[in-house]
Amino acid sequence: MRLVIGGYAQGKLRYVLQKYDINKDRVWDGELPDGETDTVVVIHHLHNWIKRRIADGGCPEKEILQWIARYPDSVIISDEIGNGIVPVEAAEREYRERTGRILVELAAKAEEVERVICGIGQKIK
Amino acid sequence: MTMMTLILGGSGSGKSAYAEDYITALSGNTRKYYIATMQVSGPGGREKVKRHQKLRSGKGFVTIEQPLAIHRAADRMDTGAKTALLECISNLTANEMFSNETPKKEELVTAEIVKGITALKEELTHLVVVSNNVFEDGRVYDDRTMAYIRAMGQINERLAALADEVVEVVVGIPVILKQVEAGDCWVR
Repeated sequence: MRLVIGGYAQGKLRYVLQKYDINKDRVWDGELPDGETDTVVVIHHLHNWIKRRIADGGCPEKEILQWIARYPDSVIISDEIGNGIVPVEAAEREYRERTGRILVELAAKAEEVERVICGIGQKIK
Repeated sequence: MTMMTLILGGSGSGKSAYAEDYITALSGNTRKYYIATMQVSGPGGREKVKRHQKLRSGKGFVTIEQPLAIHRAADRMDTGAKTALLECISNLTANEMFSNETPKKEELVTAEIVKGITALKEELTHLVVVSNNVFEDGRVYDDRTMAYIRAMGQINERLAALADEVVEVVVGIPVILKQVEAGDCWVR
């Protein structure tokens, strides 16, 4: 599994599709596919999926680990959302904190971690 | 010899865990202090403090609560070789700025904190300072908050200049921004 992170609108998806020569039909936006036989899968906007799972009372921490065990060739793309003023609203704080911790966990498990800034990938692991 | 390391990161970036491991690795047998700056309020705050205490437990830190006037932290330390982890600049800055009804001016807050940390550093063999990246959410806040963000930016910039090493923690991974080069003399 490879992890690609970066700020909003930094060209992360374009970077991934070009670098790995993956077709757009392998991209899932904010959702984790189930039952795909081709294990090359790009998850775009993982943070949106995390936000939804938190709102639905799920356990995204556990669910994502189970999912990557089944799709070890996936590329996961997420916005970095923690680099701002800590919000006053508890739910917004929880979303940032849990997304951050999930990304730390995924980064530890990933073969490679890249941060994309203005379309340029910086390999950090 | 006084060394200083500045560790930056966003919410949930893993900067605290990294900073604790970092200072534990370098402090050896010297006395190791944890300078806590959080003024605890509300259940969220208490939870966060508990999480951090759990992370630190068994790592041998002596905790000093110093939410204001950071230079005074040294008054409460034993003599002899010692290291300290100061966490974090975002709380310290907010406390200094917003403790009174009228916010303290950003220039004054910046000057006091930088001066305090400069003095504190001289008492220690190694000071590790944790600060936050609060600069990249693209939002425009009220004047008070914008003044706070500017103060944080100034303080980070000046602490980075003062530090021997600067590390940004991104999804738990250290990205080196400033480093002691081989052959560099650490004594200033």
